[in-house]
Amino acid sequence: MDLVLFAVLVVLTGIAAGLVGSLTGLGGAVVVIPVLVIAFAVPFPYAVGTGFLTILATSSTTGAAYIRDHLSDLRIGMFLEIATVPGALLGATFTVFLVHANLSNALLIALGAILLAIVPGTYARRHVELPTGVVPDARSKRLALAGEYHDLALERDVRYEAGRTRPALGVMFGAGVTSGMFGIGAGVFKVLALERYLGLPMKVSTATSNFMMGVTAAAGAGILLSAGYVNPIIGAPAALGTAAGAYIGSKVLPGLRNQTVRWLFLPVMIALALEIILRGLGLA
Amino acid sequence: MTASSAQGTTGSVPLRPLPVEAYRRMSVVLRTGLLVSLVILLAGLIAYLVEHGLEPFGTAVSTNPILNYLSLDGLASGLAHGAVEAYLTLGLLVLVATPILRVASGWYYFQRGRERSMAGITLTVLVLLLVGILVLGPLVR
Repeated sequence: MDLVLFAVLVVLTGIAAGLVGSLTGLGGAVVVIPVLVIAFAVPFPYAVGTGFLTILATSSTTGAAYIRDHLSDLRIGMFLEIATVPGALLGATFTVFLVHANLSNALLIALGAILLAIVPGTYARRHVELPTGVVPDARSKRLALAGEYHDLALERDVRYEAGRTRPALGVMFGAGVTSGMFGIGAGVFKVLALERYLGLPMKVSTATSNFMMGVTAAAGAGILLSAGYVNPIIGAPAALGTAAGAYIGSKVLPGLRNQTVRWLFLPVMIALALEIILRGLGLA
Repeated sequence: MTASSAQGTTGSVPLRPLPVEAYRRMSVVLRTGLLVSLVILLAGLIAYLVEHGLEPFGTAVSTNPILNYLSLDGLASGLAHGAVEAYLTLGLLVLVATPILRVASGWYYFQRGRERSMAGITLTVLVLLLVGILVLGPLVR
């Protein structure tokens, strides 16, 4: 296969990933990374580097819209970045060390296992539209971690306060490490911290998780870029494709985003994860 | 906006929203950065394919063509000499720098609103990002 054909196929993969990502809420990276490894035999660290680029290419598009609509809580998001950023820097550094120690296969197995956990986890997320009984802690009061948004569906302004910041910071650190190691957004962990520990409304959690995604990805991408593992010949077509796919997904197909579509992709995602694990074990 | 309290809100946390201008500015930073980087990457990719399009993909995929342009000197001289790889590197840098600029604008608005704690937190995030990428990254290369 020559480079032109490769680039075209990666753009198409990106478009598909961007579409699937925006339809399912999974993000494009979880599709792009396994496909690059399985179909094009792209070395693991380059696939991770590409994953970050697809996150950067999509989170800025959707992120900008959420910010404009005041759904992202900038204050809470920027507060939690104090945990995700060091997590992502450490995670990406750890991956570079493991790759240099010829442990890419162990990383593939771990990625497969994480995908198996993340996909059903994202789907089965128990959505609490407006949590009740949230008791803000001292840090939440001191930093004024509270906000207000206009809920179009409920037709009223909704006020919320952040609850338990310490466990939220812990989960966010873990989300940062996961994101940094594998080049994925780890949105399911971010939303867990925002919904369960801070007790934020569902829409605010989703938008704030998305708002934070770009900075986490920038930390991981920065490490891999300076370490020489962000290859634009793979990354540029993937980023361009996912940006296009996510844009089409958000403009043309918003009505399609429902449970049925999501569950249709579940077997595909499980197959990709299992194939990744088999690769890691040297059995594929 | 009129505040009608949601059920269960204690009301003990003060509402201190960032100015509307901050939301607009960050949204513009993200959109502009993304657009600029994607345009550079698209042009760079097409130019690279015109030069190398018929080579087998395996070589380019396993040996990163931008390795010589990851230092400031290398990048500057590559851009000056019109090396396609240098422009691809520039596109990647803009893509990575965009969210970092967003953090910087957050710091600016907290600073301007005299919120010392939040300004300190955002500044720490900014320093971590820069030190991580500029010092830690090259160290593990």
